[in-house]
Amino acid sequence: MTGNPVFFALTALLMPAASFLIIGALPPLRRAGRVAAWFSSGCALVALVAAVLGWRAFAAAGTAEPMRAVWWWLPSVRGPLATVGVLVDAQSTTMLLLVTLVALLVQVYSTCYLSDEPAPSLGRYYALQSLFAFSMMGVVLAPNLLQLFVCWELVGVCSCLLIGYWYRKPEAARAALKAFWITKAGDVGLLIGIVLLHRLTGTFDLVELRHLAETSQIPLAGLSIITFCIYLGAMGKSAQFPLHVWLPDAMEGPTPVSALIHAATMVTAGVYLLTRTEWLFALTPQVLAIVCWNGAFTALLAAVLACVQTDIKRVLAYSTVSQLGYMMAAIGAGFAGAGFLHLLTHGIFKALLFLGAGAVIHAVGSNDVADMGGLARRMPQTAIVFLIGTLSLAGVPLFAGFASKEEVLGSVLHGGFPIPFLMLLAAAFLTAFYMFRVVFLAFFGEGGARREARSASIPDPGSTHLSPPTSHPAAGDSTDTAHHGHGVGSLAHAHDAPFLMTGPLWILAIIAMIIGVSFLVTPPHAEFESPGWLTPAAVVVALSGILLAWLTYQRRTISADALARAFGPIRRAALARFWLDDLYLALYRSVLLVFSRAIGWTDRYLVDGVLNVISAWTLDGGDRLRRMQTGKVQDYVWAVGFGLLVLMAWIGVAW
Amino acid sequence: MGLQAYLTLAAVVFCIGLFGTVTRRNTIGILLGIELMLNAVNINLVAFSRFRGDDTGMVFTLFAICITVTEVALGLAIVILLFRTRRSASADHIDWLRG
Amino acid sequence: MTLEIVAFWAFAVTLVGAGLAVVLGKNLFHSVLFLALALIATAGIFLTLDAEFIAAVQVLLYAGGVITLVVFGIVVTERLVGEKLSHVSRHVAAGGLVAAALAILLLRGISHGPLATTKPGLAGDLTRQMGTSLLTRFTLPFELLAVLLLIGLLGASYFARPED
Repeated sequence: MTGNPVFFALTALLMPAASFLIIGALPPLRRAGRVAAWFSSGCALVALVAAVLGWRAFAAAGTAEPMRAVWWWLPSVRGPLATVGVLVDAQSTTMLLLVTLVALLVQVYSTCYLSDEPAPSLGRYYALQSLFAFSMMGVVLAPNLLQLFVCWELVGVCSCLLIGYWYRKPEAARAALKAFWITKAGDVGLLIGIVLLHRLTGTFDLVELRHLAETSQIPLAGLSIITFCIYLGAMGKSAQFPLHVWLPDAMEGPTPVSALIHAATMVTAGVYLLTRTEWLFALTPQVLAIVCWNGAFTALLAAVLACVQTDIKRVLAYSTVSQLGYMMAAIGAGFAGAGFLHLLTHGIFKALLFLGAGAVIHAVGSNDVADMGGLARRMPQTAIVFLIGTLSLAGVPLFAGFASKEEVLGSVLHGGFPIPFLMLLAAAFLTAFYMFRVVFLAFFGEGGARREARSASIPDPGSTHLSPPTSHPAAGDSTDTAHHGHGVGSLAHAHDAPFLMTGPLWILAIIAMIIGVSFLVTPPHAEFESPGWLTPAAVVVALSGILLAWLTYQRRTISADALARAFGPIRRAALARFWLDDLYLALYRSVLLVFSRAIGWTDRYLVDGVLNVISAWTLDGGDRLRRMQTGKVQDYVWAVGFGLLVLMAWIGVAW
Repeated sequence: MGLQAYLTLAAVVFCIGLFGTVTRRNTIGILLGIELMLNAVNINLVAFSRFRGDDTGMVFTLFAICITVTEVALGLAIVILLFRTRRSASADHIDWLRG
Repeated sequence: MTLEIVAFWAFAVTLVGAGLAVVLGKNLFHSVLFLALALIATAGIFLTLDAEFIAAVQVLLYAGGVITLVVFGIVVTERLVGEKLSHVSRHVAAGGLVAAALAILLLRGISHGPLATTKPGLAGDLTRQMGTSLLTRFTLPFELLAVLLLIGLLGASYFARPED
């Protein structure tokens, strides 16, 4: 069935917008809670159907030319300054599929996960979910950089509001603000880049810009700064070093939010942006090199940090940062297609992992891996899907992540970046290691016995912290387990989640399997030739990581203590998150707060001071003038005589 | 004597009366000053009337004199009242309307 | 040196001198007496202007009535026994300045325009003319004046009623 793909894209875009507006505009609907939830999910379902139909229609149309529909927004003398609309091409329709699918699954999952939230809060949650879906699709379908930026900012706002959903918790509020600030720092760069680009070329439109770039009509002078500024924006949203610090703290939000925002959609916006403008970046290879090196470094850094986390969501968060580094490295090597493919597969299995982690947290009542154990027996469905996701993430053949990861590795090698390639390989090893550490600790092994010896999970020779400072939830105020009204879950009573939660899990797992198998059967079309030793090398690296994890945490032939001691200084640094947060805090205190205080002082003493002085003078002057009224008649007669004098002099009687 | 002489005389007497009104401390002194001013005005009126050959100004002067007498009577009544309440005829003490 | 000019100057000098004595005198009673002299000098000026009736009214009402009133006022309000009638002027400089400036301006204004230098001839008796016009042209103001005097009489007697 064909149809106009633009129409489908518009439908997909406007359904969540309508949902947000309706839920927002009708307080009774919002306060009804579950009704809003189903309404929002219904709109998301329609959006998904529209996205699928649109993808099919575009694929059937056969043309490689992008189609778009725009409407004038800001008029100006030489035609519209800015337009809004949709741009439909292969990239945007595919991305739209991912966004609508994950959005729908997350919304359905949330109806069960957040079932004991008060109804008005639930309404607020779904309004925000709808708004987020709309703004993310606005980024995906943007035909010009201006609409992209507006929706980009809107995405940031929604993510801040969703991370801070439990805004009464101070950590959540702080985490939301931190996410907002750090991504905002990147967004400034993006805005500067967009404006400079407009100055250089005179247009915001993506199709026109692409045409200009490919026909070499864009002057190269100053283009590096522009692309670097655009990369800054991507750096913020996609959590590249050093702007990655917001992502682990963003785990204070509900787990479905993490699945949506920090796995599949918002953090991929940066990667998507770079993919969208790859023809621009192709003109500035130096910036691309920076992108590649930074991506590889981020991947390795985040992998190291993930190895020492005990909070299951934080492990997944760092893993997301790491995988985003992979995508960026591929783009930096010049093969945006590989990065985009990894984006798609990663979106699926990371969302799967997050939602699975949510099921575990919901059942056990704690985020901490040390509180879990032997869940495979008690929650078999969750264990299976989580295992599927982990195998995909580790890059084992037959599962989704394998082909895309190998593509990334191959592209980085082919692009001529050997050292980043080695960094990525090391990160792959660590990825397999830490993910399977979580699997073995949580799903296999003995349960219960671990609960008493909390500190036994990762013994720490040198430092006094038991675990990274902010990830250790105490009983009762844990991040997203405290709200479970039906008793804080415990290990003994762990069971598989209700269908509304396991349903999405199975859907994602099946999709991951299908992708994995189909890639094995028909490998994705690659733009380059990988060396023959690459695939076996990747498989060996993954399997050795799994082996190390198994030996350490399942069979216990290698002591975790010994491993920890062997990497002592690195471990300490990792536990302190390489002091980046402290650096940011120090910068904030010494620069921003000082500046704010100076401005505040100026406002209080100079601006207000001027006003106060003027008012004091007025009052004083009035006081003095009051004494003119002596109350004595003679003085008034004198005044009349004086006035008569003045009048006579003025009208010139006597001159 | 021309009109100018009479007008000059009236102006001088008027200003002397004004000076007296403004500077005298005793309320009756103020009234004396007012009397001088009114006299000067009357001189003006009669002079103008005479030099026009008309009697209108003189009739006006008549009225002015009568009204002045009334005003003096009332003014003195006020002064007496003030003296009764304040036991002082000094104009410096009448300042209840001061700001 | 006609009689008219001599008379005018005599009366003028008397008037101005008496006026200065009124305002500059320290003794209130002396000031009142000098005012009487000034009023009589004014009557003389009226005579030089052929306004005999006005002069007579001036002497009768002003010099007679007003002075009497003022004297009685002084008697009532000043403590004659044991205390000198004295008063000191205040704000002399400011008042003098304004008065002097006003005088200068007025004189300059007067000296500008062309003013008549000779009196026009009189057609008949001014007093008879005045009487006629009082009862013909100015009847209404005349009657209203009577009402005004009545109001003044009432007001003054109300003011000066005995305290109770």
